[in-house]
Amino acid sequence: MAKKKVKLMDICYYRSGDKGDISNIGLMARNDKVYEIIKKEVTPDRIKAHFKDWVKGDVIIYPMDNLNSLEIMMYQALGGGATKTLRIDQTGKAMGNGLSKMEIEVDEDVLTTIT
Amino acid sequence: MKKVRVGAGSSGWPDFKDGALDVAQNGDIDYISFDHLAELTMAILQHQYAKDQTRGYIPEVIPLMKSLLPIWKEKDKHFKMCSNGGGANPPECANQVLKLAQELNLGGIKIGVITGDTIPLSRLDDLQKEGWKFVNLDTGVDDLKNVRDRLLAAYVYTGADEIIDAYSQGADLVIGGRLSDNSLYIGNFMYPLGWQFTDEYWDRIGAGVCVGHLLECSSWSAGTCSNIWEQIDYPKGNPGFPIAEMYENGDCIVSKTDTSGGAIRVQTLKEHLVYEVHDPENYIMPDGICDLTQIKLEQIDKDAVKVTKFADKSRGKPRPENLKLCLAYNDGFISEEITIVCGPKVFKQAEKAHEFVLRRLDHLGLKPREMLWSIIGWDSLCGPTVGAPPADYDPPEIGIRVAFKCDTKEEARACRTECGHLCWGSLGVGAGFTNPPAIRPVFALYPTLIPREAVPLKLEIKEVK
Repeated sequence: MAKKKVKLMDICYYRSGDKGDISNIGLMARNDKVYEIIKKEVTPDRIKAHFKDWVKGDVIIYPMDNLNSLEIMMYQALGGGATKTLRIDQTGKAMGNGLSKMEIEVDEDVLTTIT
Repeated sequence: MKKVRVGAGSSGWPDFKDGALDVAQNGDIDYISFDHLAELTMAILQHQYAKDQTRGYIPEVIPLMKSLLPIWKEKDKHFKMCSNGGGANPPECANQVLKLAQELNLGGIKIGVITGDTIPLSRLDDLQKEGWKFVNLDTGVDDLKNVRDRLLAAYVYTGADEIIDAYSQGADLVIGGRLSDNSLYIGNFMYPLGWQFTDEYWDRIGAGVCVGHLLECSSWSAGTCSNIWEQIDYPKGNPGFPIAEMYENGDCIVSKTDTSGGAIRVQTLKEHLVYEVHDPENYIMPDGICDLTQIKLEQIDKDAVKVTKFADKSRGKPRPENLKLCLAYNDGFISEEITIVCGPKVFKQAEKAHEFVLRRLDHLGLKPREMLWSIIGWDSLCGPTVGAPPADYDPPEIGIRVAFKCDTKEEARACRTECGHLCWGSLGVGAGFTNPPAIRPVFALYPTLIPREAVPLKLEIKEVK
């Protein structure tokens, strides 16, 4: 099947927050098929490359099969943490929106499965 | 089956007061919980308390109780309340509520006051001498000695034990300090349902930790901050706060009142179940560890979601031996300023201003420890993930925000006044400026652990007849 580039915002929902200098993103696939795709395609290396120097530490991903979601932890990712950071978004609430701009390749028909 | 109805009352400071009052008035609740504290609030409150011993609690508690207590009386004092709004001074907060209760002529209220979550700094030194290592949870290293002389405050995230004790001694309202957000709810499940901190109950306590998490951010589980926010209706402009009907087996129905706006959907709850949980198999709270991968959500009515077991595995594990200790220390000062650049060629103008400011810092010998230059309207929230603006993109206006971190307040001010005044001299024609926020001290956090038994919590019951 033909492949198509999509942004994560087209196929997922997201909510992000903080704990110290750790940014935490819950990435929710919008159906079972998308969940199988993001489990393979959304990797720590790709996330680090996407956030460039805003994420200085490791990225760890935990799957949540019960919610079709990935729990993504990014270390040293908030400019020192809520109380130390110079960023406007002190608690990383928009880091999920940042991730949602990441592009991945999917089978062309996946978008038609999103309701 | 035995059950209890627990409502969310507050998720921080401030929160929507009408959300809490709606839950109390129309939610048919047995319990309501109020979280007023963010990660840093305790450091600010301890600072206030050190200067003035009649302060150090969340002032918002008083007007909130002024509106809430008459409802409590009207409902025949049926529901019980639990709050961490005592902050760094729970006794004074309780005194003020008692005074208020007398003024309102309520005819008797019992308040359980929990203290001891604030740890004197000398106690940390003693524990170190006894061999305890304060490993920084962010870095995995014990380097407390590097910040010891800059420590401002130390506070422990405490559990539900004393809340349960307070209820068993007849308290109508419990006021504590850094009671963990989650424990404010766990106590309200455990006491009426008779759950104990023993093996038989970890599955149920795990379920309670999960539901506490769903409730502790109030309106966030009911449509605010949601991916489906545009579809959510607020006919009267009042938000919905979630209410949990918890059954004694740990299964639960989360709903909201018909009188409020917002929505309870699988989606709105799912968004919160993935929020700030880190390792979902081990969501660690003072009263238990929840395995969030074992939770199932199911829509059973328009604004009602059933929260049950996903598989035949325990939802919980025994509570941790140690409690989370937050140490706050001084770490310099931050100054910032926002200027609006008017088009045409907004990005070119901003780039030129950036270059000008960097040269000027150098010229004046100003060396901020850190500096952040961001463009509001382009990269201020999502940083490098947005890339460079396309060459043909020229919006009518953008904002420039510059922020500096320096060791002293004077340096922070110098950076801003000399280089941050973009509107006067560092930009082309036509720029708008805003009043900069006050220069703020940086209270940095050193998160670590402390043995449970090293935290001398105390419960006192205060009463007006």
